[in-house]
Amino acid sequence: MRNKPLSFSVDIRLNQRRNLLNFDYSIVLTVFLLGLFGLAMIYSASGSFALVLRQALYFFLGAILMITAAMSNFRKMEPIYLNAVWIGFFFLVLVLVLPNSATTNRWINLGFIGFQPSELMRFLLPISAAAYLTRNPQIKLSDWIIVLVATLIAFILVFLQPDFGTSAIVLLSGIMPIILSGLPWRFIIYSFLGGIGTLPFLWMSLMDYQKDRIYTFISPESDALGSGWNIAQSKIAIGSGQFFGKGYMEGSQSQLDFIPESHTDFIFAVIVEEFGFLGALVLFLLYAFLIHRLLYVAKSSNSKFAKLVSGTLSIILAAYITINISMVVGIFPIVGMPLPFISQGGTALVVNMITIGIILSLRRTT
Amino acid sequence: MKNFSRGRFKSGEEYSRALFFLSPFIFLFSISLFQVMNLTLFQGDKYQTIAESNRIYQKPINPVRGFIYDRKGTLLAENIVQRDLYVTPAYIEDSAKTILMLSNLLDMPYELLEENFSKGEKKVKKFDSFPLVKALNEEQIAKAKVNLDSISGIEVKATLKRYALHEETMAHVLGYVGDISSNEIRKDKQLAELQNTQIGKTGIEKEFDSILRGKPGIQTQERDVKGKLVRILDTQGAEDGKDIYLSIDQRLQDHLFKLFKNRRGALVALEPKTGLVRALISSPSFNPNILNSIVDTDEVESLFSNKESPIFNRAVSGQYPPASTLKPFVGLAAIENEVISWDKKIKDDGEFYVEGDPRPYRGWKENGHGRVDMRKAIVESSDVYFYTIAFDLTLAGIRPMLDSFGFGKKTGLSDFESNGLLPDKKWKLGYKGDFWFKGDTINLGIGQGYILATPLQLAMAYSGLANKGVIYQPQFIQPTDEKSFKPKKVAEIKLSDSKSWEKMEQALVDVISARNGTAHKVFDGNSAVIAGKTGTAQIKSILPGKEYDAIRENPALRDHALFVGYGPVEDPKLVVAVVIENGESGSEVAAPIVKSAINYYKGGLDAE
Repeated sequence: MRNKPLSFSVDIRLNQRRNLLNFDYSIVLTVFLLGLFGLAMIYSASGSFALVLRQALYFFLGAILMITAAMSNFRKMEPIYLNAVWIGFFFLVLVLVLPNSATTNRWINLGFIGFQPSELMRFLLPISAAAYLTRNPQIKLSDWIIVLVATLIAFILVFLQPDFGTSAIVLLSGIMPIILSGLPWRFIIYSFLGGIGTLPFLWMSLMDYQKDRIYTFISPESDALGSGWNIAQSKIAIGSGQFFGKGYMEGSQSQLDFIPESHTDFIFAVIVEEFGFLGALVLFLLYAFLIHRLLYVAKSSNSKFAKLVSGTLSIILAAYITINISMVVGIFPIVGMPLPFISQGGTALVVNMITIGIILSLRRTT
Repeated sequence: MKNFSRGRFKSGEEYSRALFFLSPFIFLFSISLFQVMNLTLFQGDKYQTIAESNRIYQKPINPVRGFIYDRKGTLLAENIVQRDLYVTPAYIEDSAKTILMLSNLLDMPYELLEENFSKGEKKVKKFDSFPLVKALNEEQIAKAKVNLDSISGIEVKATLKRYALHEETMAHVLGYVGDISSNEIRKDKQLAELQNTQIGKTGIEKEFDSILRGKPGIQTQERDVKGKLVRILDTQGAEDGKDIYLSIDQRLQDHLFKLFKNRRGALVALEPKTGLVRALISSPSFNPNILNSIVDTDEVESLFSNKESPIFNRAVSGQYPPASTLKPFVGLAAIENEVISWDKKIKDDGEFYVEGDPRPYRGWKENGHGRVDMRKAIVESSDVYFYTIAFDLTLAGIRPMLDSFGFGKKTGLSDFESNGLLPDKKWKLGYKGDFWFKGDTINLGIGQGYILATPLQLAMAYSGLANKGVIYQPQFIQPTDEKSFKPKKVAEIKLSDSKSWEKMEQALVDVISARNGTAHKVFDGNSAVIAGKTGTAQIKSILPGKEYDAIRENPALRDHALFVGYGPVEDPKLVVAVVIENGESGSEVAAPIVKSAINYYKGGLDAE
């Protein structure tokens, strides 16, 4: 398409006339499959019908928002996208200011519904960043700097909660639009080196439990009953699933509650224990297919905004999937990230589904 | 792919850059897949063996619930060991065979065990256990110990259950405990870690649950494939709950409970000078042990469906019209507002009329009490006198006095208290959709109409009379040193002439001691001098032309009998409020209980 700049304006008018429901159904189908599979696994892992019902309600809400977003015209939405980040900042500050229980301040409770503002931010930030960077035909150096500053502020706010895993994702979600929009490579390399330079400071600011998790990762067997417990139990569950798995609701490790957080972060271990290597393979293929289709939008679209948004959001989604799975199989430190579309957790599910909806709309209208 | 070393950025490079930054994740994704393959296929056998062999299991250790004692250290609630037979369906090979064997062994009908088994099996996850038989008896335990080791999936578990020693007598003070519901976990996340623990549901058990409960510990155990314990790896002990000493006097409570003879009603007895509750009764009562350890669900159901509502705590939640027991407060309001003086007499010929309204407001005595002053109006409980002063006072004149004596407000003694009701114009408009009429004020003057009070509120209000205006916070917890105990003041009512307190007290004393007093029946020379007031609360308004005798044929519509009093008046040790539902006569059924309480307790602190 980029070889035919003259037909650009004509294309848009044609596209706008396209049917509202003309979106990539293979993506929708994959998301629904993953979501429904997730509900079944949450039931197996938790044994709580109430929990499944709540997740199902979020899934339903997410589906409605996904379809709505997919039918929207992103060009008309641009002013909204540009300012959406303020909502994220508002809640991030609110969650720090409001008195909260325990040692982490991740939740906002509106009485009828609770959600995690950091989950919201990793989705609003890249959209606003992309809208900001593409509002003029030419990107100035100052645009990049402003986006970078906003990203760093968001990163620090999430880091203070403290939520190390999600703060890294927020950082990535703000930096990717900058990189994808054409920041010269030498800047990228300099900042990468600069980033490594700050690692010692980052380490010092970690909470004790976060440091523990990294130690555990380095040598899990050293303390099989303490913090190495999670990884050791998760590996036993996965390994004992063998090729075909033990069958739905039959995983002894999961059913006996050996796996902590089995319905949230460690749900992948339950899946492999009950459905074996075969089940894991199918899941990997579904995820790979989904990322491939989403990334295709970044390739085929002729709107720079669409390229930035779909590129960034697919990378974020891929980051979640790979980090969660590699953490559960024991090749990455435990950072507390859910498995997209499957782990129990309302905010993440709804945000992920809206993400898909927006990419669908970009694909439909560009 | 584009040449990245070139400084200029081309459209289309977004995609290739996205791919470039996706590559570490693709790499990680591939390694993860390889790791899953490694774990399941190459090392699967090894992990299968680990999973099937000894399992490490973290078992919560329940803390021992604190005991409850009365003020003198008499034990009120303790824990007893209950042994239940648990089954784990996943480990049972042939359920019919196992049930048959158990039925023979425990001497229980096969059908019952089978029904319990299929019911319980549905409730738990496959590898979880559930109680098949609760509260095994001695013989069953002995047999089970010998034989059960050979059967897999069966286990006798000993758990501590709450046991209330004085059963019905203390039921409403102590309350009962029960399993944690999912609803309670939602409200208090900390409860989630207390598996298989009982928590307080009502009464002291609930209000002081956090003290009684303690903190659970955790034991790390190694178990074999069949779930049998191999060895204990680590134990983090539980922190047991703390004991509680109540201000309740068990012997007084026991004595008074017997006087109720299971009639519906309630009693609150507290020390006016400290607010310490010495007895609290709601009758009929229930045996809390039925709920503390639910063995027979039918028994529980009949308890909750009982029309007499034995579970309901009438003493703090029951709301009754205070009737004539309200008169001293209305009287004080009239004196303070100078609507009347102590000596001024009003003619009581049995009826009171409002101008322009032909309906009479009748007194309880047909031809009236003649010319009455305040003292006589209290002693003989003249309604017409109080109709008159209430009418002159108006609602605005009565309410502040009642409010300062605590009517219509929770006292803070218990979470289960009712508010009572001190009506005003706004309330009536909101709840009844009607304006406040003069007739409402007149009825309020004799404690009828909309006003409602709990027995606890009545006792509190009268403690204000006993203390000449001061009311202390009521409480259930015994102070470690009663003599140095500084109770918290909740109200301090000042009268323009402090002699009014003594005058009102004298009138209340004469209710019993004067020959014409409404409670003179209970007078005897040996008794402590008691100041008190009778009350007869109508629960059904008498329609014109219909006499009370007709209503009274239905026992459920008979008047409630009340008596509230304190004594000995020279140094009040106890203030007691008694309500007997449908008891009709305060002087006959309620006053004797109050008198008995005060005489039983007149020695005060050191009474034996």
